[in-house]
Amino acid sequence: MTKAHSIAAITMLAMAPLLIVPLGAQQLSDRAKQVGTKIKCMCRGCDMPASTCSHPGGAFSGMCDTAKAMLKEVDQQIAKGETDDQILQAFVKAYGTQVYTEPPKSGFSLVAWVLPSVYLFVGAGVVVFVISRWRKRLAPQVTPAGGTPGISAELLERARARASRETQD
Amino acid sequence: MDVFGSFALILAFVCAVYAFAGGIGAIVTRHPLLVKSTRQAGIATCCLIFLATFGLEYLFFSDNFANAYVVSHSNRDLATFYKIAALWSGQEGSLLFWSFLLSVYVFSVLITYRNKNGELMPYVGVVMAGVQIFFLTLNNFVASPFKALAVPGANGAMNLVARADGNGLTPLLQYPEMVIHPPNLYAGYTGFTIPFAFALGALLARYPGEKWIHLTRKWTMIAWMFQSMGILLGAHWAYAVLGWGGYWGWDPVENASLLPWLTGTAFLHSVMMQEKRGMMKVWNVWLVFTTFLLCILGTFLTRSGVVSSVHAFASSKIGSWFTSFLAIILLVCFAAYVKNRDYLKSENQLDAIVSRESSFLFNNLMLLVACVAVLSGTLFPVFSEWFTGNRISVGAPFFNKVNIPIGLLLLFLTGVGPLLAWRKTSTESLKRNFGLPLAIGIVGGAVAFALGFREFYSLVCLILCVFVASTIALEFYRGAKVIRARSGASLFTSAVDLTMRNTRRYGGYIVHMGMVLVFIGLAGAAFNRDTQKEMQLGSTMQIGPYTLVLQSADSRPERNYTAQRMIIEVMRDNKSLMMLYPEKRRFVTTVENGTMVAIYSTLKEDLYVVFAGQSPDTQLPVVHAYLNPLVKWIWLGGAVVVLGTLVALLPNRRAVLVLAGAQQPAGQPLAHGLPSSVTLREGHD
Repeated sequence: MTKAHSIAAITMLAMAPLLIVPLGAQQLSDRAKQVGTKIKCMCRGCDMPASTCSHPGGAFSGMCDTAKAMLKEVDQQIAKGETDDQILQAFVKAYGTQVYTEPPKSGFSLVAWVLPSVYLFVGAGVVVFVISRWRKRLAPQVTPAGGTPGISAELLERARARASRETQD
Repeated sequence: MDVFGSFALILAFVCAVYAFAGGIGAIVTRHPLLVKSTRQAGIATCCLIFLATFGLEYLFFSDNFANAYVVSHSNRDLATFYKIAALWSGQEGSLLFWSFLLSVYVFSVLITYRNKNGELMPYVGVVMAGVQIFFLTLNNFVASPFKALAVPGANGAMNLVARADGNGLTPLLQYPEMVIHPPNLYAGYTGFTIPFAFALGALLARYPGEKWIHLTRKWTMIAWMFQSMGILLGAHWAYAVLGWGGYWGWDPVENASLLPWLTGTAFLHSVMMQEKRGMMKVWNVWLVFTTFLLCILGTFLTRSGVVSSVHAFASSKIGSWFTSFLAIILLVCFAAYVKNRDYLKSENQLDAIVSRESSFLFNNLMLLVACVAVLSGTLFPVFSEWFTGNRISVGAPFFNKVNIPIGLLLLFLTGVGPLLAWRKTSTESLKRNFGLPLAIGIVGGAVAFALGFREFYSLVCLILCVFVASTIALEFYRGAKVIRARSGASLFTSAVDLTMRNTRRYGGYIVHMGMVLVFIGLAGAAFNRDTQKEMQLGSTMQIGPYTLVLQSADSRPERNYTAQRMIIEVMRDNKSLMMLYPEKRRFVTTVENGTMVAIYSTLKEDLYVVFAGQSPDTQLPVVHAYLNPLVKWIWLGGAVVVLGTLVALLPNRRAVLVLAGAQQPAGQPLAHGLPSSVTLREGHD
């Protein structure tokens, strides 16, 4: 059975047309591939960037026709001398904002780009604030936050002694 | 067996409710009988969940196609190995598996501490039972895996039926790693329940903070180790099975698994601040709360379908349960904190800005920024839809741009942090510790640049990797040299000895070394290349130094699928190097196909060959070849991380045994057998 299958497979390969345009002949420029990472393949089946489109689990898990057509379009636009941004805009016009693999740096999407820096600056601010507060603090005095009277040092010490008494590793 | 499983789950639910309600009663009344019975109810809950899980596995093994879940996820010809994995391949089974793994932890905790910590355990038991109740509610009433298969009859009633065979398991899951990746990841997710339960329990019991840290250190490390392994095994599965040449696609579910890992890593570091200096107690409690919340959020993102993902199971009804549970946890944590926060006061001050303390603060800052950035990026499509009506995709390029700089800063801190002394680091010590590693790093960078490593981030990453590896190696060398001088053993034996004396510290260094290896692997991604070609017999394709020749093809019928295989000879410098056999598997029961990537992996690069199938236009086989530099380092790094964590979990060997007979110079105080200059300069675990 295995042998028969092998023969069938080999025959299939051998019988294939001799004049095939290999995909290699359609090899895209590096720039087209680069732009292709910024647009999503719009076949609705893979949710991947056009440049890396593949269909895991599909009968054919290579680049689909939609992605090929999109990349070809990119290549043609490059040949016309369009900038990356102009090419992207043309795709957005055709498919809407869904086509982006990364949010554009304009409009509401700008928020996505700004947020990580905001986290970093706010976080760094908090760290600097904490460090400066720690520097000023006198050890080992227990000062409740906000100036409201908290529990006394004695009570805290009692709680600590209780915790040690009641637990063992 | 359906009835047996359902019954076990219902009983488990009843026991969990008793463990929860009785536990609260035990806390209030302190009645010994109540304390004991609630603990036993907790143990019974776990045992019943074990039984239910084995019940479901039994249904798979006995090919019971009267059960709806078994019909959807198995078939008679499915290999036994995968019948185990079928348990977690769908929503209902995964949620039961969550309960199962959680029960393994809860059971271990209840048994380990059965005669210890009598005052604290009722609180911990109540929290653990609360979490179990939530998952048992889902298992029993929302997504039961024990539903019988039923079809609507002529009169509108549902009729029970049994099928002759099932639909089979998704081909993408029929891969050995799928049997170990989800259990590892789930063991990570569920494992963080234990530190969470202790942290919340200790806060409710008004413990001032140190105790729960000591008690949960090992549990946290175990959960962290499983989470790390789960993430890396998932990456490896994606690499070897999905066939797109990459290992990390910033898919929402991948991101969800990374979030608790990031906060968990932050916690493992900041916990030292509390142990050594009595600082950051509030922060640590909230880090553990956050990690647990992120574990639940991760499960929610995976299961709810709120964000589209290859892993997500679309089911909106489960989403509202998870959001409610998240809200309840947050509320309870916040209430407990507000009520008892006075018990978490810090004890010490910061003596100097350049110190271990501040390096931990920055480490936590970067890990948390990474976590929040990944979280908001993952949820941004949902937010954008709310605010603008348009769903804006946030894909891999965004996450890479945001996280690469953060990752590099963290790598830098990995090198710097451990060498800064507690309290204050002198300029001399900075020079002594960093001068040589910095020089080695720069030389390493120059060599890499000369070898063609000319992408900015990759080069910076490599320089930092060499720098960090040198600092770690130097630490081992210095410590081992001291021991060698005293014991006369070889440098390697001395280094092992050194590690065993302070497993936590040197285990930590090994983990750091593992992370360095992972980063070396990640740095290679900038140089990935690929090419795709339709091939005939005897035709060739070129990628990098390799020439691939399609020598033959065959078709191999197996029990559950038929494999179409390309037989490709790999040539280098006109010499035959090896044969590769990329496969495409067509399964009997589903329309989906499996890809078996053929990988020739070396430390330098992976030659990764995919048989994509026949071209729809020409019917010729299409071969997609990738050349991915340095990928192997990632998997090696993962193994080293696990090794380091295991070392850190070992108890310290007592130095006195090793040093018996060693001459101790008068007037030189020894700690763990090391001269004061070595130990006190580091002053840490």
